[in-house]
Amino acid sequence: MQQVSDVRSNAHLTIGKITGLARVSTDTLRYYERERLIAPTAKSAGGYRLYERDALQRIRFIKQAQQCGFNLAEIRSLLALRGSNAACCRDVRRVALEKKLQLEAKIKSMKVMSNALSQLVKKCSGDNRPLDDCSILVALERAEGVKRKSR
Amino acid sequence: MKIELFYIPGCEKCATAGDDLKATAEQVIPGIIWRELNALDELDYVVELSVLTLPAVAIDGEMVFSSLPTSGQLRRELSKRKRS
Repeated sequence: MQQVSDVRSNAHLTIGKITGLARVSTDTLRYYERERLIAPTAKSAGGYRLYERDALQRIRFIKQAQQCGFNLAEIRSLLALRGSNAACCRDVRRVALEKKLQLEAKIKSMKVMSNALSQLVKKCSGDNRPLDDCSILVALERAEGVKRKSR
Repeated sequence: MKIELFYIPGCEKCATAGDDLKATAEQVIPGIIWRELNALDELDYVVELSVLTLPAVAIDGEMVFSSLPTSGQLRRELSKRKRS
């Protein structure tokens, strides 16, 4: 790793500066580093991590991709794709489309869960009766085939 | 019976393998309906079938192959469905 004597150099950003500009915490940045999504390119004479200006754009990319539902492993693949000469926009579209399909499948399954909960809530009287008579607990236990111990 | 091959434009292996798979399907079940669907144009349907990766193959509206099957795999699946 390159050692830079003057940290005021415009080419490099300290961890404080880059996290401030990217609006992420230093913990987040260190986490990205551990996940091999980003790496400091130099160290100051005092041993502080220094980042190139491109790293700022990379952090923003990571944050935006996370907001679109990509996990860090997927973001690593996306970044690799971004840096690949052999890849093209079509490859990125495929990744984005497959992510959308995964999200849609999750939404579908969560809707099923939500509907199941609606049914349980609808059936429950919600009064002061003891837990042994609670229709939600009874229905959940029946579904699992487990008999609840009386309290 | 109906087979639907979902693809993304630009998928070269879909174009080449698609013809072979279609021929296999017609061999096993003459007159079978074969449709090749651009997933981008049929997004709602693709979601409805719970397709997660592309290309994918559905048989009679059921997702069966989450990647392109080989001719042998398709032949086996169709033969099994034909018998039942």
